[in-house]
Amino acid sequence: MVRYLIGRIGQALAVLAVTFTAAFLLLQVLPGDAVMIKFMSPEMGLSADQIAEIRASYGADLPIWEQYLKTVANFLTGNFGYSIQAGVPVSQQLATNLPPTLLLASLGFAAAVVLTIALAALSNMVGMGWLRSSLQSLPSLFISVPVFWLGIMLIQIFSFQLGLVSVISPGPVERLILPVATLAIPISAPLAQILMRNIDEVLAQPFVAVARAKGASRNWVLWKHVARNAVLPTLTIAGVLFGELLAGAVVTEAVYGLNGLGGLTYQAVGNHDTAVLQAIVVISALAFVTINLVVDLLYPVLDPRLGSKLGTAT
Amino acid sequence: MFLVRFFGLATGAIAALASLQLFVGAAMAQADGPVTKGGTLIYLEQQSHTNLYPPAGGFYPNGGVLNQITDKLTYQNPKTLEIEPWIAESWTVNADATEYTFKIRPGVTFSDGTPLDAAAVAKNFDVYGLGDKALRHPVSEVITNYKGSEVIDPLTVKFTFSKPSVGFLQGTSVIGSGLVSLKTLALPDEALGDATKIIGSGPFVVASEVLGRELVLTARKDYKWGPAKLAQQGPANLDGIKYVVTPEDSVRIGALLAGQAQVIRQVQAYDEKQVQAKNFVIYAPPTRGVNNSVVFRPDSPLVADLRVRQALLHATNAKEIVTTLFSANYPLAKSIIASTAQGYVDLSAKLTYDPALAAKLLDEAGWTMGPKGVRQKEGKELVLAAYESPPQPQNKETLQLVAQQWAKVGVKLNVLAGDAGSRVVDSLDPLKTPVAPAMVGRADPDVIRSQYYPTTRNVLLQKGGVSTRVQTFVDDKLNALLEAIAAETDKAKRLALVGEVQNYVIDQAYTIPIFEEPQAFAASPRLKGFAFEAVGRPSFYAVWLAPK
Repeated sequence: MVRYLIGRIGQALAVLAVTFTAAFLLLQVLPGDAVMIKFMSPEMGLSADQIAEIRASYGADLPIWEQYLKTVANFLTGNFGYSIQAGVPVSQQLATNLPPTLLLASLGFAAAVVLTIALAALSNMVGMGWLRSSLQSLPSLFISVPVFWLGIMLIQIFSFQLGLVSVISPGPVERLILPVATLAIPISAPLAQILMRNIDEVLAQPFVAVARAKGASRNWVLWKHVARNAVLPTLTIAGVLFGELLAGAVVTEAVYGLNGLGGLTYQAVGNHDTAVLQAIVVISALAFVTINLVVDLLYPVLDPRLGSKLGTAT
Repeated sequence: MFLVRFFGLATGAIAALASLQLFVGAAMAQADGPVTKGGTLIYLEQQSHTNLYPPAGGFYPNGGVLNQITDKLTYQNPKTLEIEPWIAESWTVNADATEYTFKIRPGVTFSDGTPLDAAAVAKNFDVYGLGDKALRHPVSEVITNYKGSEVIDPLTVKFTFSKPSVGFLQGTSVIGSGLVSLKTLALPDEALGDATKIIGSGPFVVASEVLGRELVLTARKDYKWGPAKLAQQGPANLDGIKYVVTPEDSVRIGALLAGQAQVIRQVQAYDEKQVQAKNFVIYAPPTRGVNNSVVFRPDSPLVADLRVRQALLHATNAKEIVTTLFSANYPLAKSIIASTAQGYVDLSAKLTYDPALAAKLLDEAGWTMGPKGVRQKEGKELVLAAYESPPQPQNKETLQLVAQQWAKVGVKLNVLAGDAGSRVVDSLDPLKTPVAPAMVGRADPDVIRSQYYPTTRNVLLQKGGVSTRVQTFVDDKLNALLEAIAAETDKAKRLALVGEVQNYVIDQAYTIPIFEEPQAFAASPRLKGFAFEAVGRPSFYAVWLAPK
């Protein structure tokens, strides 16, 4: 198990290094760079000589390998550099934007899980056919709702019409209610679809009939036997989706005017703000790698058969 | 969609009159009853501010912050455009405009307690005029030919210039010349995006900031050095201002109408109607500079021929653009500069929409109609391209409408929307962008020089500017006129030159003016005393909130 863990962490570090390098190279390939975008834009009204001086002082014209080594060295010492467009250290931007995004993503994800379980459980527990089928079609509806539209509608109804929550000067909890709902609905959709489908599949297996024949109630079988078997594939998708929350957060943050990594990424991409993007790419890669590691480690907890396989495989 | 916009026009016209009255009335806030002191104003911005180095104040969100926290050496009266005393009590200029001496008002301090004296003013302009290589501060666009400063006594400072610099006096009044503490100037350029580091002497002080989300300003209780001729004196009426970045248009408007905010910036013309329907007020102060226009890069062989440019000028129906996309707050352009700008001449007779003439000119230039409805010459099609400019109101829609109009005479215009990097690189290449959108706000004739001169904004892409892609295009006659504007000390002669340049640019069909660009705000009817500096940046100094 320890060897397995060390191996996985080694893999994670390799993924990070490759991502870092790939991001660096891709950002170099794009036409223009942050210094050019800011200082060469006609609004600055600078002459060619003045721009050349500024470029030299930022080291923007050094050979690529030299810039790469400098960036690696800076990252290893925890120095992420400055955002040229925003005019603040990247570390300060991260300190402002990372915690709200993590909070929003975690709460959004937790809400999505609750919603998923509720949908799956309800659709299997209610007896009436029409209600069951309408509950089962809800995820398809959720998945087709554009996040942007959903956000605007929630604001218009709950904030501007009913005046229940403020979006401009909200309290710390109030601030999160609508964004979490906006994020949770589309995330819950694929989770619920997979969970429902798996429950149906497991329900069709012979052992369920055996358990029922022995006198177990439908709900007892559902919670005790079926849920545990149906949840594994859902967990895999959940790991992938959690990463997607960053992308979902871009829209949610823009609609609600929240600060977070999504908005920061959007701005940095627009301005080729390499230092900011480099840091964001590394953080996102780190998040993906960590989540996948956690998911992999959770498998044996849920299914002991996988645990023994893990032990022998490594 | 179009219907809604047309209806918007009629109400827009009424509202424009109403807002004009309010605009004039802003200085006489007392007309609205007794001033209510105190309270915090909530102001919704579309975008977060960027680097707040004052010369970068041209970016609207930056100007909206800097105008509250910094004072300027002089004050440009937005109505008369005269330069009035502010931090400078008086000044003298020598005959050829190479020496300016300013007497500084005594007792002015920055919010960090350090004095705003001759030495501080000298240092500010040394940085703005010459830049700071070590700290990477660029030179300010509005200061030209700057040589140096001399502190004559603690309250007297003299600036010298290597060549006449007539625009400098007005240049001391603009947002980009806000005075900041020496502590701020000692920071590197890439650290000035943190608003709490910008120490000014203005009526408001930055209290706190959540980067990219909100900014809190508080009024300075000991402020007593506002522009001498302003009705408002002493500290600001408000206790503070809270800026909240709200990127989404419908959320800004909804929040304003729901009473969660009192002022919002950037209201599109098609949203004006729903704001006014609830008795909220649209403010559309003019930017008084070079109009929102389409310019040509004659270095491109496609538009090198004067007849082609003239044809496109006459193929453009600016009136249709204004009536279709905008409202009465966006007046039809009658020259390359706004009708509210100094030295403006009405050239509408030369800007007629005449597609028949356009077709004739293109025929004469040898461009004959091809099989696909696009004109051809020697096997080449007349296909042009321009990048949209996101900060300009509905610029993409404007360019698309221009493209439709040009298509009628057989010219294709591709409207591009690339990333910022491609836009900057391609916009410096006349072959890739033979056409470009352009505008700039500044209430001094120097703005024309800034816009067209090769070593500054260089919108026509003449040789001698930043671009290395330009092969041969230089217009010596235009440049000589622009240099003359920068150097002419006689006001009447200077304005005559401004008229000459306007005629020349239109005669050469370098530019197709479209509309006079305002900055559009919407505000609660409770908001009183809202004023704007000469190019439409908001001033909250005299603002107060009437009781509910």
